[in-house]
Amino acid sequence: MQIQSSKLEKAVVLKVSGRMDAENAHQFQAVCEQWIGKGEKHILAELSDLQYVSSMGLSSFMSVAKALQPKSGSLILCHLHGLPRQVFELTRLIDVFPVFDTTEAAIASLP
Amino acid sequence: MTSLTLPAHVNALEDVCAFVRKGAEQAALPPGEIDKLNLVMEELFMNVARHAYAPERGDIEVAFAAEAPGKLRVEISDAGREFNPLVAGPPDFNLSLAERPLGGMGIFLVKEMTGALRYAREDGRNRLSFVFPA
Repeated sequence: MQIQSSKLEKAVVLKVSGRMDAENAHQFQAVCEQWIGKGEKHILAELSDLQYVSSMGLSSFMSVAKALQPKSGSLILCHLHGLPRQVFELTRLIDVFPVFDTTEAAIASLP
Repeated sequence: MTSLTLPAHVNALEDVCAFVRKGAEQAALPPGEIDKLNLVMEELFMNVARHAYAPERGDIEVAFAAEAPGKLRVEISDAGREFNPLVAGPPDFNLSLAERPLGGMGIFLVKEMTGALRYAREDGRNRLSFVFPA
């Protein structure tokens, strides 16, 4: 799994590529926690190149979203597709995260 | 069945998944199903790694057989404490994000993605078997 961060005015974009599994899901959480520690409220996960996510990955996404919620922030998912999308749909987590087809639409939704 | 015994530790996860991929090839599973099988194996393997032996360590045996073209039977067994992961109910989908627990989704995904999923405690071993795809 690779994670590339880009800081925008209203959010930080994390482009997550590859496979998020039990061995590396904590890395995504650690990167998010660093940005939250710097005061970021909105994290936009760009997932067009994410091929695989297991339940450990889901837990990491949930942990980050739970940490942002009391700060009136959010973890936004973009370009969720393939097996990762199927996993979010089966667990109905797709209903509790903001999900957008494009990063532009996600950014436009921010306050 | 073709079998492999490995330490029940996260470091062996990649080897377990690579081993079962050989079974997927033998059973001629469609390429699109391989990642889903990988997910099932990760969830079941990590379940054993976390619960069966902790805080001690132990081994896990994984075995597969091509049942028919496009169908793979997999068995996973360990000699850890008795633990049936299948008794857990599904996650409560009505809870808000703040209320939803972080765990419990792995076995739910396994139940959704496999067929003939069975647990048995035999000869001091936990034995889980399933057919993939469902």
